[in-house]
Amino acid sequence: MSFSLNKSYKVLLLLVIFIVIIGFWNPNALLDGLQRGSLYSLIALPLALVLGILGVLNLAHGEFLTVGLYFIFMLNNRFNLDPLVAIIPTVIFLLILGAIIYWLTIKRVVKEGHLSQLLLTFGISLILIETINIFWTSMARNTYTSYSYASMEVGGFRFGTYELLYILIAVLVLVGLQLFLKKTRLGQATFAVGQNPKGAKIVGINVNYVYLFVFSVAVAILGIVAGAMLPRTAIFPEVGSPFTLKSFALAAMAGMGNLNGILFAGVTLGIGEAVINSIPNYGGWSDIVFFGVLIIVIISRSYRGAR
Amino acid sequence: MRKNLIILLLLIIALTLPLYTGVYILHIFSSILIFLALSLSWDMMLRTGQLSFGTAGFFGLGAYASVLIVVKMGFNPILSLLIGAIFSGLIAFILGFIVLRLREIYFAITTLALTHVFSVIIRNFSDFTGGASGTILANAIFEGDPVKIYYLILIVAVLVIIISEVFKRSRIHYAINAIRNDEITAKSSGINVFKYLLFVFVVTSAIQGLVGAVYAHQYAFVNPESTFSLNFLLLPIAMALVGGIYSTNGPIIGALLLGLISEYLKLIMPYGHLIVYGLIIVFVVLFLPRGIYSTIHNKLLKSNIIGGDKNANTASK
Repeated sequence: MSFSLNKSYKVLLLLVIFIVIIGFWNPNALLDGLQRGSLYSLIALPLALVLGILGVLNLAHGEFLTVGLYFIFMLNNRFNLDPLVAIIPTVIFLLILGAIIYWLTIKRVVKEGHLSQLLLTFGISLILIETINIFWTSMARNTYTSYSYASMEVGGFRFGTYELLYILIAVLVLVGLQLFLKKTRLGQATFAVGQNPKGAKIVGINVNYVYLFVFSVAVAILGIVAGAMLPRTAIFPEVGSPFTLKSFALAAMAGMGNLNGILFAGVTLGIGEAVINSIPNYGGWSDIVFFGVLIIVIISRSYRGAR
Repeated sequence: MRKNLIILLLLIIALTLPLYTGVYILHIFSSILIFLALSLSWDMMLRTGQLSFGTAGFFGLGAYASVLIVVKMGFNPILSLLIGAIFSGLIAFILGFIVLRLREIYFAITTLALTHVFSVIIRNFSDFTGGASGTILANAIFEGDPVKIYYLILIVAVLVIIISEVFKRSRIHYAINAIRNDEITAKSSGINVFKYLLFVFVVTSAIQGLVGAVYAHQYAFVNPESTFSLNFLLLPIAMALVGGIYSTNGPIIGALLLGLISEYLKLIMPYGHLIVYGLIIVFVVLFLPRGIYSTIHNKLLKSNIIGGDKNANTASK
């Protein structure tokens, strides 16, 4: 399935060339694209993890992000907690929420067909959106932090520094996940379950526990993303929804189970989006990048017989 | 015999509804019938085993096609409804050659992505489509007369019910069932799988386009946000699930039940009344995978209350 795992170096080289060309032509778009791209891949990583290990496409993925954003917003609003500090309680909250939701619902459909999985997670996403609607109504809300619009100047070129944080966090989360999967016992068990659940069960791995763990960790990672996003994003109940499909686009493009590929794919598409966005009068077309790529990738895969 | 009587009774109630109810009730039933038709069309596609998330997309295409042809070329509104259906069907026919190669999760996601692509394209051709603010018709269809609009929607809904029943009773039914149960076996027994899938895809998309056109003419405007709203995807799915998938009666019961419940909830709970849809989807997927209609129907069959109606039994499977 994966097309960039074996040719990782070539892809990396192509990516670097691509970045350099864009950098000379339109540095603003490059920076914007890098930031967008790392945010997208940061959100896509947990989705790919759940998709790769549980085999469940979680359509409520973006809504968990929304829940994280609102939780941090509430902490910020009520207790005046800085969004970046509020990441810690939010991660714990989402970990528990993810575990509860897995235990009550997802657990029962892991072994069933894709139809019930998609419909169930669709239902969960609707419940999450509407719960937020009940508590906060559909009004858009903002938070203010002193640092979110800080900027820096290098050689006459001015850019915002806050969003560089996305790149840093994306790399940190990716490295952390890789280390976890390769070095720890639980990580290796997770890897084994992802490859062959039956075999993993035979050698004594508690598959159900691994599933529970992976799902809740995937939801909890979104807490980190939410903390980083909140200072720059106006939130409303559907704020996370577009990210579900975009994340799936990245996961499909990188190939199932290829976590590094997601960062490459995310940065490439992010830059593509930013470049189109920067063309005057045609900026609106940038939304089509992800969906177009998603459709092209899925269909070209089907033509190669990998349905 | 009893079944025919029930159908006749329901039809009489539906036909005479404007005589003894007000505009508000008529409006509720109009929107229930709109969703009923969408729900049935989604279920008809599901009967082939393909989970389509493109309902909202073809709904929106039909709506836009019929509104634009009236605004730009001065077509007769009633004729433009047909144009909406034909346009959606045509797009589905072209896309079908590519999309219907996909299965399961990939088909579902691609149709959902197509919905977004449609809305992005329409938003960006702003000279022709009015862009993000949409296009407004000078006048709603029939000058906005609620009774006439109700009858128009009723005709569309009955038409869709008839198409669904024809699908159930003709040879297509066997081919579709065979494809859903085991595609490879179906192929090896000489069923042209692609041909049937394309046929069903085009017919259901044309229905969605027609419903979209009617909806757009009822409210006399289209805009990318509300016309391609995922509500036109989610609510029909919830209705079909609640009633019971793979049947005609299921979506009808589901649409009536959910439509009335959500209308009531809207009155007591202005924000978030749609939560009931989410709860019902989750509950039904987990505990009643066959839906309300099929579950009750099977219980009754077992207790021999409506025994002997074998045809209905196979139909509901």
